[in-house]
Amino acid sequence: MKTVNYTSLFCLALLLMSGSLTQAQEKFFRAIGTPHEPEVEASWNRYNTYAGIVDLMEKIADAYPKLSRLESIGKSYQGKDIYMLTISDFNTGNPDEKPAMYIDGNIHSNEIQGAEFSLYTAWYLTEMFGELDFINQLLKDKTFYIVPTINPDARDNYMKEPNTPHSPRSGMIVLDNDGDGEAGEDGFNDLNDDNHITYMIRKSPTGQYIKDPQDERRLIRVSMEEQGNYELLGYEGIDTDRDGEVNEDGIGYYDPNRDWGWKWQPDYVQRGAYKYPFSLPESRAVADFVIKHPNIAGAQSYHNYGGMILRGPGAEEDVDTYNREDIRIYDAIAEKGEEMIPGYRYLTVYKDLYSVFGGELDWFYGGRGIYTYTNELMVSYLYFHKNEGRGNQEEELKVDKYLTFGDAFVDWEEYKHPQYGTIEVGGFKKNFGRAHPGFLLEQDAHRNMAFTIYHAYQTPKLSILDVEEKSIGGGLKEITATIYNERLMPTHSSQDLKYNIERPDLVSISNVDVVTGMIVEDEDFNKVKEQVHNPETLRVPSIPGMGTVKVRWIVSGKGNYTINVDSEKGGKVSWRE
Amino acid sequence: MKQIPVILLLILAQSLAYAQDDYPDLNQISKRLKSLDKNSNVNLSTLTETIGGNDIQVLKIGKGDVNYKPAIAVLGGVEGYHVLSVELALQFAERIATDEEALDKTTFYVFPNMSPEAYAQYHHQLKYERRGNAANLDHDRDGRLNEDPFEDLNKDGYITKIRVKSPLGKHIPHPENEKILIEVDTTSSKATRYLVYSEGIDNDKDGKFNEGLKEGVAFNKSFTYNFPAFEPLAGNYAVSQKESRALLDYLFKQWNIYAFVTFGPANNLSSPLKYNAQEAKKRIVSSPLEGDVAINKMISDLYNESISQKPFMQDNMGTDGDFFQWAYFHFGRLSFSTPGWWIPEAEKDTTSTSDEKIKDTKLFNFMKWADQENRDDVFVDWEKIDHPDFANQTVEVGGVKPFVMENPPFTKVDSIAIEHTDFILKLAQQQPKLEFHNLKVENLKGGLKRISVDLLNNANLPTHSELGQRSRWLRKIRIDISASKNDIVAGHKIELLDRLQALETKSLSWIVKGNGKLNVKAGAPHTGFAELNINL
Repeated sequence: MKTVNYTSLFCLALLLMSGSLTQAQEKFFRAIGTPHEPEVEASWNRYNTYAGIVDLMEKIADAYPKLSRLESIGKSYQGKDIYMLTISDFNTGNPDEKPAMYIDGNIHSNEIQGAEFSLYTAWYLTEMFGELDFINQLLKDKTFYIVPTINPDARDNYMKEPNTPHSPRSGMIVLDNDGDGEAGEDGFNDLNDDNHITYMIRKSPTGQYIKDPQDERRLIRVSMEEQGNYELLGYEGIDTDRDGEVNEDGIGYYDPNRDWGWKWQPDYVQRGAYKYPFSLPESRAVADFVIKHPNIAGAQSYHNYGGMILRGPGAEEDVDTYNREDIRIYDAIAEKGEEMIPGYRYLTVYKDLYSVFGGELDWFYGGRGIYTYTNELMVSYLYFHKNEGRGNQEEELKVDKYLTFGDAFVDWEEYKHPQYGTIEVGGFKKNFGRAHPGFLLEQDAHRNMAFTIYHAYQTPKLSILDVEEKSIGGGLKEITATIYNERLMPTHSSQDLKYNIERPDLVSISNVDVVTGMIVEDEDFNKVKEQVHNPETLRVPSIPGMGTVKVRWIVSGKGNYTINVDSEKGGKVSWRE
Repeated sequence: MKQIPVILLLILAQSLAYAQDDYPDLNQISKRLKSLDKNSNVNLSTLTETIGGNDIQVLKIGKGDVNYKPAIAVLGGVEGYHVLSVELALQFAERIATDEEALDKTTFYVFPNMSPEAYAQYHHQLKYERRGNAANLDHDRDGRLNEDPFEDLNKDGYITKIRVKSPLGKHIPHPENEKILIEVDTTSSKATRYLVYSEGIDNDKDGKFNEGLKEGVAFNKSFTYNFPAFEPLAGNYAVSQKESRALLDYLFKQWNIYAFVTFGPANNLSSPLKYNAQEAKKRIVSSPLEGDVAINKMISDLYNESISQKPFMQDNMGTDGDFFQWAYFHFGRLSFSTPGWWIPEAEKDTTSTSDEKIKDTKLFNFMKWADQENRDDVFVDWEKIDHPDFANQTVEVGGVKPFVMENPPFTKVDSIAIEHTDFILKLAQQQPKLEFHNLKVENLKGGLKRISVDLLNNANLPTHSELGQRSRWLRKIRIDISASKNDIVAGHKIELLDRLQALETKSLSWIVKGNGKLNVKAGAPHTGFAELNINL
C-alpha cells in the first residue's frame, strides 16, 4: 500500500509541477548532447550585445544558485562591469579551493564569438548538471571561472556603430594615431548609413580593376597590360581633418592583447602596446582576479579567426620559458583538441603566427604558471569542409551565394563623396568572415567547449592512495603515505616551479607526535629527503601528473591521526585512520 | 639698539628653519614643498597616496605657457636609502623657482621623493638601507609573508652584519684593515675564517638570513625595461605599485618632457654609456643607439665641467627594472642619472705591502677615505653577542653603518646641490629651439604667391633622440599654415616632421591664393613652437 501511495503522490507532483514537461514530451524529442529542457532559454545562432550577455548571465545565476555565482571583477574604461560566472557544485566544497579553469572571450572587441562560446559553456554545464554523471563529477571536482567579454565597451561599439570586420579590435580609449597632437579626429564615415564600413571604389579610365561580368559583386584585377575601369579607394571615409589622409586617426589603435605583464615591450618593439603592463583597466581586472585565485590551473582565451589552438611563446626571445615537460602537457591536451574540433590546428604563436610580446597567454603561463591556450575561432573548413584559408574572396562569394543567399554582401551603390566625387560603396559586411554565420555557431561553440572541458578535466586531481604503518621499535611508528595525482597536469607547472610562483603543496599529519618527516624519493632504496623544520607539515614542491609522491613521518604515541593534502592547484584532500 | 634682539631673533628663526644639520624627514620635506608652492612659478600637486599612506608629489615649475615649453624632469628618492637624492631634487627646485630667465625657456618637473616609506627608514629607530615600499610581498616566494626580517641584535639602532667564526666561512679580515672582511682565496689559508650574514636571526629556520623582508616593492626595481620578474623587491609584474603607476600615468600626459635627470645609483654623467652595435640592432633594443650615445657624451662633458668631484669607481650603468633606463628605452626621452656624490678615491698609502688587487675594494677605499676625513662615526666595531642560531660559536655584530657609503655628511650637500643645479641649467640651454629664417614671398601670375621659409633647430640637441623618433609617445614636429585648404595650390596645410637634428634646417614652401595675413606655426610640446606672421 505504501508503495502505491508514494508512487501516486510522485505522479501527482510531477503533473502539478511541470506542465511544460508534458508539453515538451509531446512536442520535442531529445537530441543527444544538448540540454533538452533548459531552465534558461537561449539561442545559439545569434550574437549578444553587452546587455544581452549580462541578461543571460543573470538568468543562469538566478536559475542555478547552487551551481553559479555572478560577480563583477572590475570596470571597463567606460565604466561597464566586467562580469564573471563561477560555475561549480557549491555543495561539494568552496569553489575557490577546487582546481579551476579560467575562460574568457572577446579581448579583441571585433572577435565577438568568444563571448557566445563562453556563455554556452556556462549554460551547458549548469543545464547538464544532474543529467550526466560526468558533468556531476566534473563540477564536484572543478571550478570554471567564465568571463564572456573582457572588452565590453568596444564590443558594443563594434556591433552598434559602423565598423569593418577588423575594427575596433582595441578598447575605447582614443589615442593620437598619426602623431599630429590630436586624438581620434579622422575615423571611418558610414557614407551609406548601413552600420557597416565597406569599401569605396571609383570609375577611372586608368583603374586596375573591372567588375566581373558574371558576378557584379566581384572586382577582378586586370593583367598588367590590360586597362581596367575601376580603382580601389579603401574603407568608407572622408578626410575629416583636411590633412590629405582618409581614416588615419579613428578610435583605438592599441591592442589589449599586448598589455600583459610577462616580457612586456613598448610600442616601438611591440606595436599596439599601451603604457605599461595592465595599463588598461580590463586586463588589470583579470590579472587582479587571477593573482587572487591560485587555484586556476588551466586557462583559455577565445579570439578569431582561422581555426587554431595556440600556445605560447608569443616571441622567439621567450622560447626558453616553455620547457619540455610543460610542452608535453600542452601537446597532449591540444592534440586531443585537434580531434575534437575538425579544421582547427594546434600551433605555436611565435613560429606559426606572428610575434607577440605582452600577450595574455604568455602572462598566464610565464607570469602565473597556468597552462593556457588561445583559440582562433571560425575557420573556412566549416563552410565546405575544405581549408581555403583566411579571407578567401572566392570562397566567401560562394558562401554568400549558396549558403547565406546575399545576406553577407552590401551591393555596390553610388555615392557623392566630398573629396573623391562620384564613387561606389559596397562589399562584405562586418559580421561576415571573422564571425560565424548563425547556422555554424552552436556546433563550433560546443566543440570548443568540449576542448575546454577536457583541459579542465586534466587539471590535477589528488587522492591519498595508501597509508602504510610500520613499527620501528622504541615506541616509534613509521607512517608512509602515497599521494596520487590521477590527471595530466602536475600541481605546479615547471614554469611555476622554476620561479616558485605558487607555494609548495602542504602534506600534514595531525593528532600524533612527529619525531621527523621526510619526502621519500625512492622507496626501494630508502632515499629520503628530511624536512628538519616543522616536519608535521611537509612542503612538497609539486605532485606530478599521472604520478605519485610519497611522504613519511616517524611518530610516537597512539591515537587516530589525520593526513591532509593542501594544494593551491590540486585542491584539498584528507585521510583519516 | 632695540633692533638688535629682533635681528637676533630673525637670525635664530632663520637658522632654525634652514640651517638643518641632517637630511630632512618626511614632515620637513612636506613643509618645504608647501612653502615652494607659494611661489607663483610653482605648482605642487599630489599624484597618489602610497599604500603606506604617504603622498607622492610633483612640482611643476615654469612660467606662461608651461605645457608648450621643452621640459626637464628631475627625480629624487628612486632609492629610499639614497637620502641625498631627495635633498638634491628639493634644493634644485628651491634654487630655480625664482630663476625667471631659465623659466622663460624651460619648464621643470621635480618629483622629490618616489620612495617615502623606504626613505623614512633613515629617521626610524631602526636604521637600515631600505628599498621597498609598504606593500606585502613574499620576497623569497615561499608562501609566507615577512617571516624573516632583520633584527637589531646589539640594540644600537643600526642593521649591520654578523660574522661567525667558522672554518666553513668564506670571508677573512683584510690584511691592512682587520675591521673589514674580504672574500677568502687560496693565498690566505692561515687567516681566521668567518661566515657573514646580515644582522638578524633565521626566524623561519630555512638557512637563509633576513630573506623574508618586512618591506614591499622597490621603486627602482619595478619598471618594464629588463624587469627582473620574481626577484625580491620587484613585485609580481612591472609597474605594479600605486606610485609607479601614478608617475607613469602622469608622465604619459606631459608631452613636453624631453629629458630626465634622475638622482639615483646609476651613472651616465661622470662617464657616458657605451654603444654596442649588436645590442642596439636587436628587436628588443639593449644598447643606447649610436646617435644617442653621442648626445650622452656631449652632456657628460657638460657634467664634468660643472661638477668638481672626479669620477671614481662608478660602475653602475643601470640595473634591471630601474627608472633611469626606462625613461630612455621605454619612454624615448634623453635620460641622465647620477648619484650626485660618491666616495672619492682615498689618498694613496705608500707604506702598503700587500697585494694591489685585494686592497682596492670599495669598502677598503671607503674606510681609508673616512679615516683621512677624520670620520669616526661610520663603523660599528665588532662586538660579541649570543646568537640563537649559533650556540657555542663566536658571533659578532658590526660593520659599516647604513647610509654612509651612499650619502655624504649633510654639511657637504649645499655645494653639491649648487653644482648640480648649475649642470641642469646648462643642460636646459642645449634644448631644441625651433626658429624660422629666410622668409621669402614671391608674387606669381594671377595673384598666386609662393611662400618659402627655412625651419632651423638652433640647438645642440636634436628635436628627438634617435630612439625617441620610434616612440609614439613623443609628438612629431607639426607645421601648420593658417591658409584655408582651398587657397593652398601647392604645399601642405598640415605637415608632420619626424625629427630635426642639432642645427638642421628644413626648407618649406607653399603656393597660395589671396591676400591678407597668414600665420605659420611649427613645433611640438617638447621642442617648443616657432611662429611666423606673414602679410601677403
